[in-house]
Amino acid sequence: MKETPQEKRIHENMKAGVMCAKGFLGSDTRHFHEIIETDAAHLQTLGYTREEVADRMQALTNAAFEAFMGSITLEEHLIVEYTSFRGKLTCPFAHPGGFRKGSVTLQNTRNNITLCWTPLNIHMIREHGFFEGHGSEHRLDPDILIKALFN
Amino acid sequence: MITTILTTIAIVGGMAGFLALLLVVAEMFFANYGEVIIDINGKRKLKVKGGSSLLSTLNENKIYLASACGGRGSCGFCKCKVRSGGGPLLPTEKPFLSPDEIKDNVRLSCQVKVKEDIAIIIPEEIFNVRQFAGVVSKIEDHTYDIKELTIQLTQPTEINFKAGQYVQLQSPRYGKIKQKVSRAYSISSSPDHTDYIQLIIRRVPDGICTTWVHDFLKEGDEVSFTGPFGDFFIQDTRADMLFVAGGSGKAPIKAMLEYLDARNSTRRMGYFFGARSRKDLYLDDLFATWEKSMRNFAYYPVLSQPTEQCEWDGRCGYVMPYFDEFIQDVNNTEAYLCGSPGMIAAVVKYLVSKGIPKEKIYFDSFA
Amino acid sequence: MEINAFIIFIASIFTSNILLTNFLGMCSFLSVSKEVESSVGLGLAVVFVMTLTTALNYVVYHMVLVPLNIVYLQYIIFIIVIAAFVQLTEMMLERFSPVLYYSLGIFLPLITVNCAILGVSLFMIIRNYSFLQSIAFGAGGGLGWLLAILALAGIRQKVRYKFVPKGLQGAGLSMIITGIMAMAFIGFSGIVVIQ
Repeated sequence: MKETPQEKRIHENMKAGVMCAKGFLGSDTRHFHEIIETDAAHLQTLGYTREEVADRMQALTNAAFEAFMGSITLEEHLIVEYTSFRGKLTCPFAHPGGFRKGSVTLQNTRNNITLCWTPLNIHMIREHGFFEGHGSEHRLDPDILIKALFN
Repeated sequence: MITTILTTIAIVGGMAGFLALLLVVAEMFFANYGEVIIDINGKRKLKVKGGSSLLSTLNENKIYLASACGGRGSCGFCKCKVRSGGGPLLPTEKPFLSPDEIKDNVRLSCQVKVKEDIAIIIPEEIFNVRQFAGVVSKIEDHTYDIKELTIQLTQPTEINFKAGQYVQLQSPRYGKIKQKVSRAYSISSSPDHTDYIQLIIRRVPDGICTTWVHDFLKEGDEVSFTGPFGDFFIQDTRADMLFVAGGSGKAPIKAMLEYLDARNSTRRMGYFFGARSRKDLYLDDLFATWEKSMRNFAYYPVLSQPTEQCEWDGRCGYVMPYFDEFIQDVNNTEAYLCGSPGMIAAVVKYLVSKGIPKEKIYFDSFA
Repeated sequence: MEINAFIIFIASIFTSNILLTNFLGMCSFLSVSKEVESSVGLGLAVVFVMTLTTALNYVVYHMVLVPLNIVYLQYIIFIIVIAAFVQLTEMMLERFSPVLYYSLGIFLPLITVNCAILGVSLFMIIRNYSFLQSIAFGAGGGLGWLLAILALAGIRQKVRYKFVPKGLQGAGLSMIITGIMAMAFIGFSGIVVIQ
């Protein structure tokens, strides 16, 4: 498929070593549009919208960010921790502005799922419906993500 | 028949050639901005070739504004005030500027093209910023995810900075990584040592520069960096000093204490270091020796979540409640904070509620 | 038959929409119609380039090709003129209007290969339009193209939240939407005839 210059730039940004070491696509060979469309369909069958997922992730992130030292336990079964690093993360879709460079670790003790995301992931899910490609550092499979967030 | 083909070729060729020529002439006319003058702070004038971005033009003239993204307009570090001649504010800059900054004519220098005579204002300290080359003489593991590098300078061989400032380390192309990036790290060695610097670097998951430092960099490798940057330094007063840091935020505090120790400072100082568990504590021995050499210095490590294995019987939880052990006179106390924005916000809020004036709280936030 | 230029203008937006009746300019139509914002950017660039290249090609055709008796070269010459014009516009924009350059700039190179642009120039010759008629035709054609891509982008943005069978995702569904849109536009036909 032909790509517009803008899409080409996005694609370039997603490659390994441009914005993060392993890239946003990981070992996934699909085009990012396809990843987005597949995950969107999947999310729909699970009965959640991008906004609901992003809102929930943002709420957990905010709570952990304010706790700032070590992890906190929310709703009795969610252990969340926020780690800060110097600098900013930028959006590969060329959205202007930056996001905090930090990583959030969520452990759901009910089903023992542990996930890790960055503030940028929340933005990419909310604005672009992008959950990253298989094999990338922060791939958030909708299936697992929903279980970790809402179970 | 042959003539038809030949005339066709000639006409198409001529037409294409004519238009190409037109474009070349237009290019010469439109893209050539000739020599322009950059007026810096009204004191210095630079004669440069117009046409490229302000950031790269200044770089070519050995004036290094901070930039982490290399001029792609995504980090927002390379701000400078443009008094005249910068053209209109571009949509690519807007998200990085606050309404006050826009009113103040602050621009992103990587987006401003030098097309005409231009007058800018940059902090005087920027003139001290240089590009340095050095050799990694030592790599120490402090914790499972924190390393300290010692970089011996080779070109130039001397650096002048203030304790608390940072540099931008450049990572080369390595492994699958096809481009160089620059990332900011605080200097952890004292400015008294002008022939080397030390950097404390914590691993960032999926980070380009830290992965290189942690997994690829070896002793003896050549590295380059620019600096020094930043306005986080020791204030020359006699007030008590309260230091608070977490994680790799220890770096600038270490530089400051090393500097103060060399001068046998008698100021009252307390350093609160917040870590999660025992395995996140490092350089404890060094701070213990400073407790001995500086009679008014005390080190307070605080663990937020010590585990059984830590065998920790020291301070636990948040750092803030323990400040009371140190603070005597709120009107004669300065605070120096370095770490995550969450920590800084909480500590500033706490100190202000205790009565320490906001303007006496100095910090270097990771955000 | 001499048709009023204004009628040509209106007709080329609605009744003989270059995209929905002639199906020209499909590739950028399909690939840039994911978001309303970028589709408007591309659409505006098409309006601009189409209007001016039609005028330019009219002059080139009647002043150069006809006198030299080489009208059979119109295809190749028109393409060269369009390409050079787009390049020149890009250069001038960058120099004189950086703000506009940043909003339109990335779309301009894409237009060089947009067949609707060439199509309008060729139709103008076939239909024997006068200079004024040609300009109206070019501007109307561009606006029509803008209207079509804007409609598709709007629909596609909505569709993103809906469940689409796997086989139809992406280009498949866009083609169906375009087809239905084209049928809807047939409703306008018969109001005016311009060819």
